[in-house]
Amino acid sequence: MIWQLDLFILGMIVVCALASIMVKDLMSAAIIFGAYSFLMCLLWTEMGSVDVAFTEAPVGAGVGTVFFIAAVFRTSRHVSRRSEGRLGMKFLGLLGAFMTGLLLMTGVHDFPGWADPNSPASQHVSTYYITKTIEDTSVPNIVTSVLADYRGFDTMFETAVIFTAGIAVTLILRRLGGGGGSHSVSGPAYTTTAGYPDTIIRFISRQLVPFMQLYALYVVAHGHHSPGGGFQGGVILGASFILLGISYDLKTTLNRISERANIALGNLGVLIYAGIGVVCLLLGANFLDYSALSKLLPGATEITARSHGMLGIEIGVAIAVMAIMVSIYVNLASHGKHDEGL
Amino acid sequence: MEYLISKFNYWVYVALMMIGLYAMISKNNLVKKVIGMSIFQTAIIVFYVSTGAKKGATIPIIAHGHGEAAEAVIEASQYVNPLPHVLMLTAIVVSVATLGVALAIILGIHRKYGTLEEDEIMEKVRQP
Repeated sequence: MIWQLDLFILGMIVVCALASIMVKDLMSAAIIFGAYSFLMCLLWTEMGSVDVAFTEAPVGAGVGTVFFIAAVFRTSRHVSRRSEGRLGMKFLGLLGAFMTGLLLMTGVHDFPGWADPNSPASQHVSTYYITKTIEDTSVPNIVTSVLADYRGFDTMFETAVIFTAGIAVTLILRRLGGGGGSHSVSGPAYTTTAGYPDTIIRFISRQLVPFMQLYALYVVAHGHHSPGGGFQGGVILGASFILLGISYDLKTTLNRISERANIALGNLGVLIYAGIGVVCLLLGANFLDYSALSKLLPGATEITARSHGMLGIEIGVAIAVMAIMVSIYVNLASHGKHDEGL
Repeated sequence: MEYLISKFNYWVYVALMMIGLYAMISKNNLVKKVIGMSIFQTAIIVFYVSTGAKKGATIPIIAHGHGEAAEAVIEASQYVNPLPHVLMLTAIVVSVATLGVALAIILGIHRKYGTLEEDEIMEKVRQP
């Protein structure tokens, strides 16, 4: 908690936010937004929330930026100048934003100071989580134990939301057989080198992919003892396939992990999560009460069984997140046609 | 100065929220609107994580969790509040999934109307 660093990063963040909505070129806006996410990632680390930083790095700065670039690539890059004259709307928007801001500013005065150890948020349930996690679950990373055990319901439905989002993207964009829409716009928005085989990029990506995947597996498996877990590992795993899709083409990615496999894996991930909950139920405990798993796992006490149960659902989350990230990218990059990609 | 430091995070979250809200209302381009929405989301995350920060505390991973010091008494004041981190961690991943949906809808709109400018889309909607 170094306040000088905090002030500096927050200042840079505001500059990036303003720049990304002011700049006229949408590709630049996407890249600046990636930088903004990366600064956010530094800010989280500075405030001691390493797990959030670890999530922000591959998700916000990595995959999110790629999604933006894919969408801009498939539509148009430039903001039209013609519509700059709508001053009335701009003024209204500014007024609305300022009124909301003013209202919130008056509330800021009553907040407990930043990093105050006695703030109400740090008083009640969080002290229980911090002091009991080793005793209850034998998991040193408190974020993992709260995520996967104490608040397992939350996370299960978050995973379901991600799965639903993946299905929604497929439903909105997917076109079988590549038949053109009514306004089938002529190709990408600007000249590209799409499909141009750049040997250096391809070679480096090819070498990088296995290490990325190995690292992702480490992140999933080691989420109990260090920052990381199912969400982060899943996104890194998905990013490795997306990297293949960018440096080669979509066909290469789809040969490794087909559309059908993607949807099935997304299903499987959520199913593993809910299935472990149901197994607990069948063993006579509450839904997602992993201590009941000690009856199935040899050599596990009720406490370590909770740790193993968490590992199980983290694997489910990782599979679901990976499949959905790849599926969203494939659909966005090819406009739902699954032909060439970026 | 003391006051400035202790409230600075909250002011910045309000500022980011205003930027995001302004972009969502006033920007004519749909991709810009989505960027505004993402800025708004991160503003909320800044707020939550700021409430979890604690002076003199370390990251929320118990030191020597399985070592000989495992029996040592764990004080809540030693570790940052983990609860906001959990909530925001899942929120970030969900936000990128919803971002995917938003961009998919944008691609769908572009497929149908051939533009991403709000006023041009409205013109085409009014006179098919």
